[in-house]
Amino acid sequence: MNIKLTSLACFVGLAISSNTMAQTEIEKLRSEVDTLNKKAQEWEAYQTIKQKIEKDVSLLNDKAREWEEWKAPKTLVHLAGFADVGYTDRQDQTGSFNFGGFSPIFHYQFADQFMLEAELEFEITEGGKSTASIGYLTIDWFVNDYMALVAGKFLSPLGQFRQNIHPSWINKLASAPTGFGHDQAAPNADVGFMARGGYLMESNNSMNYALYIANGPTLEADGSEIDMIETPGLGKDGDGSKTVGGRFGMFFPASKFEFGVSLATGNVSVRSGTAGNYSYDASRSYDVVGTDFNWRPGSFDVRGEFIQQEYGAQSTSAAPDSGKWAAWYVQAAYRFSGTNWEAVARIGEYDTPTNSKDVEQVTVGANYLFATNLVGKMSYEFNDNPNAGLTAANRVLVQLAYGF
Amino acid sequence: MKINLFKVYKTGLASLIVIIGLSFLNVSVAEEKKDTKGDFARGAKAWVDNCVRCHNVRDPKELRDDQWITTTFHMRIRAGLTGQQTRDIIKFLQTSN
Repeated sequence: MNIKLTSLACFVGLAISSNTMAQTEIEKLRSEVDTLNKKAQEWEAYQTIKQKIEKDVSLLNDKAREWEEWKAPKTLVHLAGFADVGYTDRQDQTGSFNFGGFSPIFHYQFADQFMLEAELEFEITEGGKSTASIGYLTIDWFVNDYMALVAGKFLSPLGQFRQNIHPSWINKLASAPTGFGHDQAAPNADVGFMARGGYLMESNNSMNYALYIANGPTLEADGSEIDMIETPGLGKDGDGSKTVGGRFGMFFPASKFEFGVSLATGNVSVRSGTAGNYSYDASRSYDVVGTDFNWRPGSFDVRGEFIQQEYGAQSTSAAPDSGKWAAWYVQAAYRFSGTNWEAVARIGEYDTPTNSKDVEQVTVGANYLFATNLVGKMSYEFNDNPNAGLTAANRVLVQLAYGF
Repeated sequence: MKINLFKVYKTGLASLIVIIGLSFLNVSVAEEKKDTKGDFARGAKAWVDNCVRCHNVRDPKELRDDQWITTTFHMRIRAGLTGQQTRDIIKFLQTSN
């Protein structure tokens, strides 16, 4: 009996002990499951964050690649240019609002070797019609650090105003100096080939040069007198002889003073007839000489230029006499410190083979710089022609010019 | 106004060609010193010295970095900059942008 009781007690004891152990095991397993659940949740959270980070990194990589492409692609395209609007009131005429022009400039650059540059010129005529022309179109080859070869229609490198100062947002007055407009004393453009560049001297001052060969200009006659010289960049060399020339500029004695000399020579002839059916008479000599300077002492900007185009006599021509167009100007501008205001004054003169077209000019102006490339100008021109008794050609010009 | 400069202009033009030709004698030497990446400090000086010769100085932040490349190469033609000055000015403008 005792043995039975003892066995029963042992069995019960074992059963109780076994049950307790099982409960402990379950608790342990439950704890492990909880731990695993927590780890699984952490893993999921980690995966979510990881995926988000990977997505962000991928996005940033794309942006970086995009940025790098913008910074240094093989081919670059850029649209620049300038435009202006204004109002002109001449003493002997009714004042008119005017649209000076819109000149987009396209740049297509291949690496650091080639660039295509083209400037279009849109204008509105007095009759309200829009006109479009090509100001210049060249393909430039940057041969080395000191020379670029330029081929096509280019702005004349003779002097400074026509090639660099004429854009309305750069010109500090609302008009070109007398004699420096289209087809006046300063050559405007030419079609041909040019080498230009710069060189840094030991003194750290630099020089720059431009040498060209091109079709050259043509003359227009009115009866037995030469009326005009045209330099728009002709597509045909009517006189049978190319014009060669160039400009040499040097910063001397300081980096803020540049002095330039321009020279060109060739032949020119009188053109008659209509477009597509032109004829040219016997050629005659054609020579250009010019000099220019710019100087920037403190808040002043001072510049000046002289240019002269001369043609020789030709006895077989309907207009046999020789003649010349010459023009000069000196301009000073002062930027008032701490303000956006600028005062400008310019004096100049234009001499032509026809005395009635000569002009003596003084211009004063005040400019407000909304930005360095957005300028409001108010100019007053005193125009005088003592040879033709012209006494009422003074003008007020208001202009808003934007370079972009 | 009577100008007598034509009497010497052909000599002047020939001199101009000779001067430019002579200046290229040093090109090969200078090429060895070529800094292809550009230099910020030199660029800042070249920017100040050259840009304001003709126009108001432009803020480096006006254009994107790639636009400064084409603009500066355009100005290399207009202002007669050297290739090194061009790279230096681009470096200055892009770093300041």
